[in-house]
Amino acid sequence: MTEWAIEAENLVKKFDRKVMAGGEDNPGKNGEKISAKKRRWWPFSSRATHSIFTAVNGVSFKIERGEVFGLLGPNGAGKSTTIRMLCTLLEPSGGTGRLNGYDIQKQANQVRQSLGAVLGGERSVYWKLTARENLEYFAALYHIPPEIAHQRVKMLLERVELTARADELVEKFSSGMKQRVAIARSLLSDPPIILLDEPTLGLDPQAARHVRAMVNELKAEGHTILLTTHYMEEADQLSDRIGIIDQGKIIALDTPAALKRRISQSDVIRMEISGWHDDLAGVLKALPGIETLATSHMGSDSLYEVNLHASNSRQVLPGIIENINQNGTRLVNMNIVQPTLEDVFISLTGKALRD
Amino acid sequence: MTSISKPLSGPRSLSRRSLLSEFKALVAVFRREWIIFRRYPSWILALFIWPVIFPAGYILSGRALSGPDGSGLALFAKATGTHDFIGYIAVGTTIWMWQNVVLWNVGTSLRNEQMRGTLESNWLSSTWRFSFLLGSSMTQLVTMLVFLVISALEFGLVFGVQFHGNVLLLLLVLLVSMPSIYGLGFAFASLVINARESGSFVQLVRGLVMVFCGITFPISFLPSWMHGVADWLPPTYMIHAIRSVVLTGASLTAIWPDIRMLLLFGAAWLVIGYLLFNWMERRARRTGAIGQY
Repeated sequence: MTEWAIEAENLVKKFDRKVMAGGEDNPGKNGEKISAKKRRWWPFSSRATHSIFTAVNGVSFKIERGEVFGLLGPNGAGKSTTIRMLCTLLEPSGGTGRLNGYDIQKQANQVRQSLGAVLGGERSVYWKLTARENLEYFAALYHIPPEIAHQRVKMLLERVELTARADELVEKFSSGMKQRVAIARSLLSDPPIILLDEPTLGLDPQAARHVRAMVNELKAEGHTILLTTHYMEEADQLSDRIGIIDQGKIIALDTPAALKRRISQSDVIRMEISGWHDDLAGVLKALPGIETLATSHMGSDSLYEVNLHASNSRQVLPGIIENINQNGTRLVNMNIVQPTLEDVFISLTGKALRD
Repeated sequence: MTSISKPLSGPRSLSRRSLLSEFKALVAVFRREWIIFRRYPSWILALFIWPVIFPAGYILSGRALSGPDGSGLALFAKATGTHDFIGYIAVGTTIWMWQNVVLWNVGTSLRNEQMRGTLESNWLSSTWRFSFLLGSSMTQLVTMLVFLVISALEFGLVFGVQFHGNVLLLLLVLLVSMPSIYGLGFAFASLVINARESGSFVQLVRGLVMVFCGITFPISFLPSWMHGVADWLPPTYMIHAIRSVVLTGASLTAIWPDIRMLLLFGAAWLVIGYLLFNWMERRARRTGAIGQY
């Protein structure tokens, strides 16, 4: 048996993607166009373009037992696809993976017995069953002996603070409570490995804090946790090590502190600008001393967060301010801040996580 | 069969897989479906309404066509061997509803799980995946048996139908009918996961059964080419065998050709259903269809 809890070696996942007539013809960076045919004999066929989309492109990492490992990346980066291959729901197009020493393709049942997973969040439990009925049902699916299952369900309901509402239908629960039922489900067999796919997505801040506290407790108990998230604070706060993933590839892998040290030589200038237009990005990037620039929309019509990395902020600030406050753009807020994982991502990819 | 994961340190999985635990998982799927079924009162109400509503239109048409004195029934009796056209229609429509409900319920059970988002969480467990289809079929079978009993009682109370014949023989026909009805349901469930649409398929199959299997009329009235199609549809034999038993008191020898065909079709459809399920399961792992809505 290997010392690693999870090993991924050059994992690849490709999907056949169909783009209907009138849709985007460009298969994108991760896609290769393979055909655009219409079957003449079939009157209902549309002119669809088939392309091979590479969702995961050679992902490798090893996770030690008892470690919390975060996969951080924007939506569509390949985090969920990676986790689904590791838990045997998806067959890799290439590469290998092992969980708890078991091969994800050849020993799928042993892999599934070794892990608990939260995928799909609140929708992964039955809303027409009570919390207790859900856990009793899944305990049977996980082949937990009934005498142990009964105790386990009781203990987990207490742990996720749902004992008082254990016999209410899940459909009456809030999103946070449903997510807690899903987390309790993943812990039923007390698995050595836990996979959490965006566990705080859509939760209110209090519910998200509750989930994060639980992750820390599970780590303290010795569980190995693979966590995917696109919240940099969450990855930073919970993970021993982080793999930053973008366009199906791991582009950096280290401890949060080490990742942030990579850009500690640069100053991070964070600004909120109203009336932002894309031409301004070119102007600012051309200023001497500016290393990278990334923008993300802040919700209101033309308010953008602009992150700049510069070798010396004092030198570049006058030029920045001069170029911004003209042609209808206005600097609303500006800070020189400590680098975060978001800044690491920006320095690696030139774009913001929330793009 | 037993396999236990043994990490070097830290928590140890409580999962203990055995034949007995697989059976308990199957029972858990059955129980889950039964609990959910009970939580929809409209589904329970439907069990009482449909046995009467659906055949009523055909029965009233039959009454109108047979004339005020029922003189038009002579031709019907000559073709079918019974004057009881109401019982004749009741048997045909009940079998049609059975097949129809299996296509809707068993056929869409995996698709419903997929849309609810629970298919992935089920398949993340180490339970044999065919159990999920088998368990929901078992629940459906129990509700269908209740439906058949309610139908028989209501036909007697509302339409005055008198069923006679050997009850054990009737149960035998129902038993040998199950493999083909549920085998088709398994095949259907597997195809629907990939096609992600079930309505048009259900309409097609139930339309074929309605037209070709003679649910309200003798298939001897059909053109000869349609007989050829009817011979390939198991409900043709179910309907014929059950009518023979309950309306004319036929013996086992008389209905043996129907039973033999039902056994053959049943074996074929169970194998097809199982193979299609395995094909779907492999394909879904390649395409990621399990997590798609």
